[in-house]
Order: sequence, then structure tokens, then C-alpha cells
Amino acid sequence: MPSPSLFEKSSPFSGVYFMLMVNRMQMLYYFIIMPRHLVHPYMIMGIMAVGILSQVNLMLLSKWFSSDFSVQGYQGFVQLLGERTVRVFAFLGLFLISLRITVMTLGFVEIAHQYIFPSMTSNWLILSIFIVCFYLASQGMENTIRFVVIAFLSTIWMVIIYYSFFFPPIASMHDLYPLMPPEWSAISWKGLLLVWSSLSGVEFLVCLTPWLRPKQKMLKYLTIGNTISVLEYLVLFISSLLFFGSNYLDKTKYPVLDMVRYLQFPAYERIDIVLISVHLFVLVFVNSIFILLFYGAIRILLGKGVRQTTRMGFAASFIIILVSILVINEWFWKSGEEQNIWLNLQIGVGAFTYLLVPAFLLVATKLKGRFKV
Amino acid sequence: MTHIKRVVLLMIIINIVFLSGCSSFFVENNTVEEIAPVIFWSIQEGESGKLKISTLLPPLINEKKSMLTLQVNLLKQGRKDFNLVYYRELKLGQLRMLFISEELAKKGILPLIDTLLTDPDISQRLYLVVIKGNFDDYIRNQVDKQENLDYFLYRMLKHYETKNQGDITVINLHQFLKRLYSPFSDPILPVFKVNKENFIYNGTAFFKDDKLVATISDMNDQILQLLNNDYYLKLLPIPSLAVSLGQIRSKVIIKLAPDYSSISIKVNLVGRIEEYRGDKNIVDSDELEDLNQEIKSYLEKQTTALLQKMQQWKVDPLQVGTHSLTPFSQPIKDEEWLRKWGNMELQINYQLDLQTMTNVNK
Repeated sequence: MPSPSLFEKSSPFSGVYFMLMVNRMQMLYYFIIMPRHLVHPYMIMGIMAVGILSQVNLMLLSKWFSSDFSVQGYQGFVQLLGERTVRVFAFLGLFLISLRITVMTLGFVEIAHQYIFPSMTSNWLILSIFIVCFYLASQGMENTIRFVVIAFLSTIWMVIIYYSFFFPPIASMHDLYPLMPPEWSAISWKGLLLVWSSLSGVEFLVCLTPWLRPKQKMLKYLTIGNTISVLEYLVLFISSLLFFGSNYLDKTKYPVLDMVRYLQFPAYERIDIVLISVHLFVLVFVNSIFILLFYGAIRILLGKGVRQTTRMGFAASFIIILVSILVINEWFWKSGEEQNIWLNLQIGVGAFTYLLVPAFLLVATKLKGRFKV
Repeated sequence: MTHIKRVVLLMIIINIVFLSGCSSFFVENNTVEEIAPVIFWSIQEGESGKLKISTLLPPLINEKKSMLTLQVNLLKQGRKDFNLVYYRELKLGQLRMLFISEELAKKGILPLIDTLLTDPDISQRLYLVVIKGNFDDYIRNQVDKQENLDYFLYRMLKHYETKNQGDITVINLHQFLKRLYSPFSDPILPVFKVNKENFIYNGTAFFKDDKLVATISDMNDQILQLLNNDYYLKLLPIPSLAVSLGQIRSKVIIKLAPDYSSISIKVNLVGRIEEYRGDKNIVDSDELEDLNQEIKSYLEKQTTALLQKMQQWKVDPLQVGTHSLTPFSQPIKDEEWLRKWGNMELQINYQLDLQTMTNVNK
């Protein structure tokens, strides 16, 4: 039986799928550690400011989605930038993608290890997550994109759990004061960078435009996705402020999860375990998308961009990622965030690409258009 | 069809791997007959700087219960050593109460509490209780008479916590730590007095950082519940005025002078007179007004005395300092606040709105 191509395009997707993807890519791992890095109540304003900035960035990105080049996918990029440049970018992309997968997965594994399986070797956890990712990704890009609906529906309800933190006796207004930073130096710039970086990931969607139904108002969908994420950040941050107060928040490693442990449900007490497990859906979805992108990038790099995909090729690129993660986990990953180079690196790199990719593509299309004329 | 078969096969393999529990893979054995999920730990000072920890075993199964006590240097060492002397494995997943002796609390309890907090098995709703007297003696003596003593102690604390009905202070691990780390509040814990026969609520302990500073009881404790903790009292008997008030709800309005030189606390009490054994005819409105005045001045005097004591001890369990925070101004430093609080002029004012029950007449 000849296997259908992994990158087959049978029916184009509506923008709603992209809205869900934008949202879920922004709700990955970072939101769990975010409150601890923001700490002060006045950083509520910070989240909003960064959210608005991200909105501006998405406006630039939506310009790309409406351009003629984007519809053609790989060919569009080649037309725009030339094949050699595209290869260079694909090569860079390999590192960006594997760094992103590594940090998100290892961060998550660290959490699962601490809360659910303290006695388990973390390599087993990584392996089992990746087996699922492999299965999902091998269903092809189309099915993987469809999976976002499951990932979204299975995690969006989590925000509702946090409602009880907004009411007394836990909540008291003074935990949210002061709302204005006392001086510029008191602002945690690293925290703001983290927020910006956690909104990133969306820029990789430019590679998925061939699956998108052309001539849609993408800005609307991107805006909704982004707004939902920012609202979720706000809910989580404000509720963790109310629950811990800023001084105590500083001393908590995973505030968002520790809070949930405090809730009491009649039938089941360790609701944090459910939350962490369900979060796996999002992780698997995002990882699968990136594994497929990784495979695609390797094909472009080797100049096989237009040929039929092979199982061997896909499995090989999958194994490259898996092995590199296991190696990093075994020898280079240090748990404890402050010293963790990988996390800091990804925060920086993610923020950087999110800032540059939309602007770069926009400038490139504009220049190309001018030269044509 | 082959597709479905493949998925089913994969699921079966995964389940076999996970459920059969390869020993190196996942080391958690929770077979109910083999574990002892203890409900409380009691920690006292032992000899030469050690901790003396005890618990009641077995907690679940219908066997004769007995008290186990160990002298250890570390809390987790206790957990390990319990397993060595007892045939079931001790599990902390159901730990609900921690009884800390007063002597230990005076020396500071943060290291103990931190250990418990970082254990993902232990709920942050763990109740903390300070004990005056020898708790172990009490348990040892009572466990024959009341089999599920540990469980009922937990139910008692939970009962008074759920509706905040103001009879006793109930504080859990998270509340304690939040108050400990927040700059304008000091933690409180309930204090129970025990002897061989009884387990009696004694009042509330004030902490400065993680060290016990002072304990208040009786009327002072009731006023604390009204001013801060619960804002509600089911019953407030005032023996010196021969009157019992009931269903009291309080509304506290705290105003700080801008330079923190004085504080005005207005307390509005709404409730009813449920019992009167004095010689006034309280059906008569004039005499009722007299009684109101007496209660008012009595409460004002008591409250002022209580707050003066707090100032003396330099603690702020009422979290008065949080009223200095506003959305758009700089918070003052914690030490500065405590200095100002120590010298603050107090203006306490009660407003009473008491109903008489119609059947209370002479």
C-alpha cells in the first residue's frame, strides 16, 4: 500500500483552526512558570502591554497571510527569497525547532516528574511522550492540524477551575496593590521577555499556509487566539497573586499547579495530576507539528522539497530529535530554573524570532513587490 | 480494520507496561492492606535538640490502635524510621493535622513546615495546631475509649473551618505561610490545652515570623474572631454584664492616619441579646439603652487592651498594615510599619445594633 504523503493537502482549513493553534501554542509550559517570574502586582499591566504589542505583531503577520507568496507554500518562499536563502533559513529552523521542542518537553517532564512520577526515570517519560507524538505526526499534517480541536477542548476548561481564587476568603484586594510600578528599575524586564516569548511559536504558522483556505480574514482569527491567551495569562497571574501574595509567590516553583492542589473536590483531591496529564494533549499536538516541520526543513535542506515523503526519512528525523532530547536531558539539563541555560536560551530565541519573522517577511514581500514594478 | 487493531494492540502493550509495574520503572505501592496513611503527626521537642514525633497507628483498619513515638533529628527520618518499626508502610497522602508543641513553636517552625510544603503528597490544607501540655499522653489515654480519635479531631477542625462560624481559629499550612511571607501580617495558629483527659481549645497564638510570641484566650480570642478572622460569632457570652449575645456579625472599618500616627477602628456589630440574667428590665427601651452602653464600653475597653498588647508584642495579626496599601502609592517598608504600629494611637469605636428576643423579659 503506497502511503499518502505526510504533507498532503486534500481540503483547506478554515481560519478557526489557526485561531485554536495560535492559542494553544501560546499556552504551553511557560504559563506555568510565568507568575513566579512576574511576581509584582503591577506586572498585570505588563502582561496587557505585551499582549497589545503581540497584537501589533500579529497584524504584521496577517499581512503575510494575505500576500500572494504565502499561498504557494514552499514555492512562494523560493520565489520570494531564492532557493539558497530558503535553505539557509531551513537550516536555522532546524535548531530553532529542536530547541523549542527540547525546552517545552523537558520543562513539562520536570513537572510531571515532580508531581506525578517522582520515582520514575525521566527518560521513560520522554520516550512515552514521543511515542505518542510519533503516532500523531505520522498521521500526516492534515490530521495533526485537526488534532488541535481536541487539544483545545481538553485544556481550555482549566481556566474555570481558578474562579474560586477570586472570591473571599482567599482573595483580598490588597494583594493586588500597588498597581503602578514604583520606578522603572522595579519592572522585571526578564518577566516581560518571558511573556513575550510565551506568546511566540505563532511565527512558525507561516510554514502552514498551504493548508489554509486562501483569501480569509486571518487577522480576526489571530486576534481572537491571541486575546484568549492573554486573558488566560491574566486570570492565572491575578489568581496566583490573590492566592499567594507577591512575596510568597516569589518562593513557589510552579504556582499555577500548587494553587490547584489547594482546591478540594469531593471525589478526588489531586486535581493537579489531572491538569498536568491533560496538558499533555497540547504538548503532544505542538510537538507533532514541530516534528513535521523539522522533517520538512530537512527535506528542503537536502533539496528534496517537492518529492514524495518517505517513512524512513520521517522516522530518521524523528529519531534525531528524540536522541538529542535524551542526550540533553541526561547530560546538559539542569533542573531549577535560575541556572537553566536552555530555558533562558529559548526565552531569548523565541522572543527574537517572534519579533523578527513577521517584520522580515513583510519587508521582503514589499521589497520584492517594488522590484517587480 | 487493521488500523484499529494496531491501536488496540498498542494500548494493551502500554497498559501492561504501566500496570504490571516493573519495579525499576515506577516505585509506588499503594495496596491498601499494606499501607498506613496516617492522619496526624505530633511533634514535640526531644532530648538534645532532637524532635520527638508520634502518630497513631493503624489509621484505617479495624485493629487495636497504638501510639508510636520516635526521637529523630529530621522529619523525614521519622517517616523512614516508622517504617522500620511498623509492619505497614507509612504514607503521607492523607496527613491532615500537625500538632506542634508550644515549646517547639517558640523556637521557630519554618524548617518543619517547609519540609511538609515541598512534599507533593501532603495537602496544603494540612491543619496546624499548637499544643500546650503533653499531647501523646492524651492520645494514649483516650484511644481505648474513643477508637477513631484522630479522625474525629480532624472532623472537628474541618467543621469549624468550613463555615467560619467563629468558635475557634482554624489555620492551615497555606494560610500560615501566606501570612508569614506577606509583609503586613503575622501568622496565627489555634492553641489547644491537653491533659490526660481533655483536649480543650485555649485560644489563638500570635507568631512573629515563625516563632510563637504570645497566646490570647477567652474574651480576647472572641474579639479577634470579630475583628479579623471570621467576622462572625455564634455566641458571645459576657459574664461580667450577665448577658449573652448571639448571631453577631461584625463589619470593621479601619482608617489609618496618613502619617500613621493614629488608627481608628470602627466596628459595627449586628446581633441579638439571647440571654440576660442581670437586674435591668430590658424590655424597657431606656434600660436596654443602658445595657447597650455597658456592652459597648466593655467591648471598647477590651479591644483597646488587646490591641495595646499586640503593639507591645510588635505583632500585627489583624493585618492592619494591609490598610496602608493603595493602588497608586508606594508601600512602606515592613520594619518601618512595625515601628509605627508600636507607637500608634488607638481609637476604637463600637456601634451596636442588638435585637432583644421577645421572650427575654422579666
